[in-house]
Amino acid sequence: MSNTKQPISNRLRSLPVASGGGLPSKTPTRRSPLPAGEAPPLPLLHQALHPPNPMGDPHLLSSAHPAAAAASARKHPGPIDERFSDPSPHITKRPRVAADAAATVGSAPYPEEEVRSLVIMAGGIYPLARAEALRGLAAVLEKAGTGCCDGAGIVECCYGCAVELMRDEDEGVRLAVVRLVGLCAQKFAARMDVDAKSDGDIMDLIFQQLSSMARDMCTKVRIEAFGALGKMQRVSDGVLLQSLSKKVIKTDTMSGTIIKGQKLPPKLKIPCAAGIFAHGIEDEFYQVRTAACTSLGALAKFSSQYAEKALDLLMDMMNDDTETVRLQTLQALFHMATYGYLSMQEKHMHMFLGLLVDANALIRNAARKILGLVNLPKLQMFKSAIDCLIASLEKNPEEQDIYGILFSIGKNHGSFSANIAKHLAKEIATASDGELILDRPRVKALIIVSISAPFSDDKHKKLDIPSIIFSHAISLLGKVSCALGEEVNQDSLLSYLCHKGGMPLWGNRSVSVEFGESESCKVETVEVGEQIENTAKATKCLDRVLVMQSVESILQTVEGAWTMRMSCDVCEARTILRTCKEELKVLAENSSGSIGAFLSFLCEYLDAIRLVVELWQLIQLDNSYTVGLTAPDILLEKLNISVRRMECCYAGLNRGLEVQVMELALLANLLGLSNIGACSKAVLSKLVWIINRLEGLCADGSCELSDFSREIKKTFEADHIGSALIRNIHTSVELFRLKPTTDFGALKAISGVLQVCDNNSENPQSYICGLPVGVSFNISLWNISSNHRLWLHMSIGESVQHTFLDFSSFEGDGEVKSGSMVVPLNTTPMAHSFVLRVCLIMECYGGISSNQERHGGPSDCVVQLSDELDVYFVSTGQR
Amino acid sequence: MAIECLVLGAGQEVGKSCVVATIGGKRVMFDCGMHMGYHDRRHYPDFARALAAWGVPDFTSALACVVITHFHLDHIGALPYFTEVCGYHGPIYMTYPTKALAPFMLEDYRKVTMDQRGEAEQYSYEDILRCMKKVIPLDLKQTVQVDKDLVIRAYYAGHVLGAAMIYAKVGDAAMVYTGDYNMTPDRHLGAAQIDRLKLDLLITESTYAKTIRDSKHAREREFLKAVHKCVSGGGKVLIPTFALGRAQELCMLLDDYWERMNLKIPIYFSAGLTIQANMYYKMLIGWTSQKIKDSHAVHNPFDFKHVCHFERSFINNPGPCVLFATPGMISGGFSLEAFKKWAPSNKNLITLPGYCVAGTVGHKLMSGKPTRIDLDKDTHIDVRCQIHQLAFSPHTDSKGIMDLTEFLSPKHVILVHGEKPQMAFLKERIESELGIPCFYPANNESVSIPTTDNLKMSTTERFITSCAAEQGKQSLRKRNLIHGTGTSEVNGCDEAAVEGVILMEKHKAPKILCEDELAQVLGMERHLVQFEALGSSGIEEAVELEFKRAEAADLGSDGK
Repeated sequence: MSNTKQPISNRLRSLPVASGGGLPSKTPTRRSPLPAGEAPPLPLLHQALHPPNPMGDPHLLSSAHPAAAAASARKHPGPIDERFSDPSPHITKRPRVAADAAATVGSAPYPEEEVRSLVIMAGGIYPLARAEALRGLAAVLEKAGTGCCDGAGIVECCYGCAVELMRDEDEGVRLAVVRLVGLCAQKFAARMDVDAKSDGDIMDLIFQQLSSMARDMCTKVRIEAFGALGKMQRVSDGVLLQSLSKKVIKTDTMSGTIIKGQKLPPKLKIPCAAGIFAHGIEDEFYQVRTAACTSLGALAKFSSQYAEKALDLLMDMMNDDTETVRLQTLQALFHMATYGYLSMQEKHMHMFLGLLVDANALIRNAARKILGLVNLPKLQMFKSAIDCLIASLEKNPEEQDIYGILFSIGKNHGSFSANIAKHLAKEIATASDGELILDRPRVKALIIVSISAPFSDDKHKKLDIPSIIFSHAISLLGKVSCALGEEVNQDSLLSYLCHKGGMPLWGNRSVSVEFGESESCKVETVEVGEQIENTAKATKCLDRVLVMQSVESILQTVEGAWTMRMSCDVCEARTILRTCKEELKVLAENSSGSIGAFLSFLCEYLDAIRLVVELWQLIQLDNSYTVGLTAPDILLEKLNISVRRMECCYAGLNRGLEVQVMELALLANLLGLSNIGACSKAVLSKLVWIINRLEGLCADGSCELSDFSREIKKTFEADHIGSALIRNIHTSVELFRLKPTTDFGALKAISGVLQVCDNNSENPQSYICGLPVGVSFNISLWNISSNHRLWLHMSIGESVQHTFLDFSSFEGDGEVKSGSMVVPLNTTPMAHSFVLRVCLIMECYGGISSNQERHGGPSDCVVQLSDELDVYFVSTGQR
Repeated sequence: MAIECLVLGAGQEVGKSCVVATIGGKRVMFDCGMHMGYHDRRHYPDFARALAAWGVPDFTSALACVVITHFHLDHIGALPYFTEVCGYHGPIYMTYPTKALAPFMLEDYRKVTMDQRGEAEQYSYEDILRCMKKVIPLDLKQTVQVDKDLVIRAYYAGHVLGAAMIYAKVGDAAMVYTGDYNMTPDRHLGAAQIDRLKLDLLITESTYAKTIRDSKHAREREFLKAVHKCVSGGGKVLIPTFALGRAQELCMLLDDYWERMNLKIPIYFSAGLTIQANMYYKMLIGWTSQKIKDSHAVHNPFDFKHVCHFERSFINNPGPCVLFATPGMISGGFSLEAFKKWAPSNKNLITLPGYCVAGTVGHKLMSGKPTRIDLDKDTHIDVRCQIHQLAFSPHTDSKGIMDLTEFLSPKHVILVHGEKPQMAFLKERIESELGIPCFYPANNESVSIPTTDNLKMSTTERFITSCAAEQGKQSLRKRNLIHGTGTSEVNGCDEAAVEGVILMEKHKAPKILCEDELAQVLGMERHLVQFEALGSSGIEEAVELEFKRAEAADLGSDGK
């Protein structure tokens, strides 16, 4: 039996068995949940399977120093470590596995079974079979969810198998290995995300393994390896920097080479990452160069030091003889710029500005986009960039988006643009009539740059732009508004320019609102909007880090708006909230998965906040209680619906989010109380329910009961009828603080899409008056589980029909289910034609339902899942 | 079985590459080069001595074949001498481009040495032609059965047009001789490419055993800047190069730059050889880099737009120009002539290659900054021109050697074609980082390398059945385990020890048996040894008796 082929993972695992002896107190308690007799204690079993090898068996070696091994295990309490040093890792996981598997038993076989047989097949003698087995493993891995515990062992297992085959003779196998290792890396990264901050040793190791694959002789393997490298996360700085330089960087910490006391085989030391990108960009095949450039850019977000050095390499690629590579390089630079990791230096400027006048329009365009985002540290560089843009504009006058770029570059460098503005003003002043022709691109460009200065970030300096510039800018209104994008309309822009230009105001209105005292705030939102607009338009797939950055900045704005509400500037607050929501919407449209769900959740949240703000204003204005359906009633109903949607339409709300929702529900009910002015029993019971729920959520101390809820609880306990509550309502509401959390875990949005087959207003469905008619729908449902109760809500004018939706026969996996069905419409009106409005609704279970009566339909506590759909009918006689 | 590796040339030095490897009794000569730095006995590998050591009458019977990796003189220079003067008549293998270009290289050198130094002619033009007639061309990845046992195959090596790495295999012993190779592609050639092979021995060049080169982009930029500065100042640029390879590479670079910068200064090729070579390059597109392969249908990059016709007298013309002249290390020929003319002016520029053999003018220029070069007793040259050292080298760097070694992971490595201190350094790295034993023998030393020998064995049906049964039990146990604890033990468990007896009889193939089959196969009865409490002499007697009985049965078996 040879020991050389034993995979690393196995060796890693064999260590803890030995070290388990060093921690005797730990083992019995851990094993206690195991039913007796189901499996023998692991160390024994392990030895039964691995008869002790007298020579060089690592676990024997380590068992010679059990104390040392145990000590090292104690020193690094990362999750990976935990997994490996845990004496019986899978036994401790087992209860959870069993609980999970209980639901699926019988329907799907254990993924372990699949993995086991695939791993055995991967050891076969036929290369094609080996490759296929690896692809199979990748497929299993992809299916297994990241967070769920039954995926845990699988990832290690697949990884171990892949590592073993990394040096395979067949390139097809190696290709499959790279894919699998890349996938494993993603799973590891995702898991660490959920777990905790961990030392990324395993990620470093994978990075190096992939690097060594990136020097493969097979082109396809290289392409794949560079692709996988670009998707790595949590790689340490040292390894990243090493990947740029062929010369081995000496590191004093040899943590990379020794992982958990296991000396790595010599092939996996840091040098195998050495200069991998330097090799990649020199590759013979442009596909490899392209992949290397992409990855170079993608990794830049993890380390600024790396980004700086990577930039040098990328700039050299501008000389590449293949256009695809140059474009990809620009794309990578753009990527770096969006993350704010692109710091252009003087030595790069010559090469980069050359691209602005490139013969190829695509390259020019890409280079401009980057220029709109970068930060230029020196005035000289700024001026040369502006000059180059102007030259480009003169050469290609049809490229009007240059104005937009000029505006944003000016905005990014406020003080530099102010400088430009000063010079321009002088020029305008000294120029005699006719000399300064506004039509000249140069003047146009400079004016745009100048007026962009007030929008800049440099708040600490008061930038005074000569008013003459603004008065000149008026004639360029079209260009300016074009440069600003859509979010500012021309009228307000004009009045702003007039205002700034010191002209007698044409239409004195709204200046103060739009740009007056609240200028700072407005500018901020405009800016946020523009930044996001830029990124959203350009990068199709926004990724997590970027989105979270934007979300955080938006949420800060929202919090600011909430405090503004206190100062009764409700109009302003409302506008800001609305803008923020629009921005979130843009982000949400471009995101998917749990982050997309979170964004739509936030949209909902902002909606609710806005409603609260509006409602509060109405309540404050009008203290006399009125009877009947009034504006507050409508707002309140809207607010309730919004809260209910947040409660019910998102699966996997974590504690923080749920507390957030519950507090909002509390607030909504409180406002309801104040609106009615008396305490109805239903509302009171709801309040009790919410408070209890909140207490339950905060019971284990993971989050704290806010002052607001505590205050209400106190008042409520003192006085069960709730009259005190109404008296104190103002002080209570004042206590409410907005604390949106950005930690969303594995949030999923529950939603549905309803489509009707072959029907529109031009092509209505025919029916016979008074007789039932069948309507066929295509329905897709997202994240619906079997215990949700869905109904089809069909209405014709006032009459409503509810049909229960049985989706058990729908096809699809846990995430998406879809199917088509024919739903009968029981009564049709006696009319020539009518429009049926259909939507999907879901019952809120366990919610705050007040009315338990059902008339064959759903409970009255429902949320709408899909958009409302119009189905057109025309009676047969009319056709 | 073993591989015996005799280094006839390029051991701890650069020049006259020649290695004879004896693989399972088959001798293969890799490369047959000459040393450019010497003009005496050391000019060629010491063939006679090798022949004496082998104890065979002539080379033809001693060697199974000669394989030439590429057409550089330090790899092919001694071939006509070896075939025509020493009298080797066996097969010679080289790739198509090597075969096409080698006669030009050889003839050019023959003429140069004859004209310049009047050195006694070692072989004539006819010798070259006769020699080339014996050559059998090879294609990339073509497997050639040289004789019953020996198989060779060529892999792409980059370096120069037609350069190859040679894989040779006899029985289970396999080795690769890299020749010169390049792991990073350049403008006109691709990077070396080889399959992952199971090797006992890798013989690799180690010209840059210690150097790690940075990105070529920066080097190109610097070179272009220096040349542009020189010609815009009205100076002349002398680029001494080998006629093939570097000349084309640099010319492509300059041609591109001239096009981009719209320069009108003439570029010259000194020798007709280079122009002829360009013709071959245009034809042998299949051996160039991917980019040229992709684009040659539209524009053949070897049709240089800015290269002008050249006459020898142009050397005295005023005004700026760029001249490519052979040979590369200014060891004579036209490059020396141009150097003599241009070196005294400080406007001019000489770009030296990254490596020059000791003893050449190039080497003298590289070491320090000499103001005067003594060619011989009477000739001195004042050197005032600028010198730009250009590390454009078609050789791989230290990192490349390590990468290739790691990729192939052979059992042993031998370094040749390098300088001793650097080789010692690289040997250390290979041994410590890759854990592969490494040697760097000097000239005329030989290294013997043990090889693995696979033995084919038959086995009885019973043995297979028992193995299978054992495995079945194992996997059953494993399945139970999986239900118990997840997947932790899946990896690496399918290897298990089985017990059996290997039976090796004379004149029969070895066989594996089950233990209890042994007696039956040998046609013997089972003997039982029982011990009783006897005196010490009694035990000895009993054991002896047992041994004798066994010997009598002529037991040729070997226990496990």
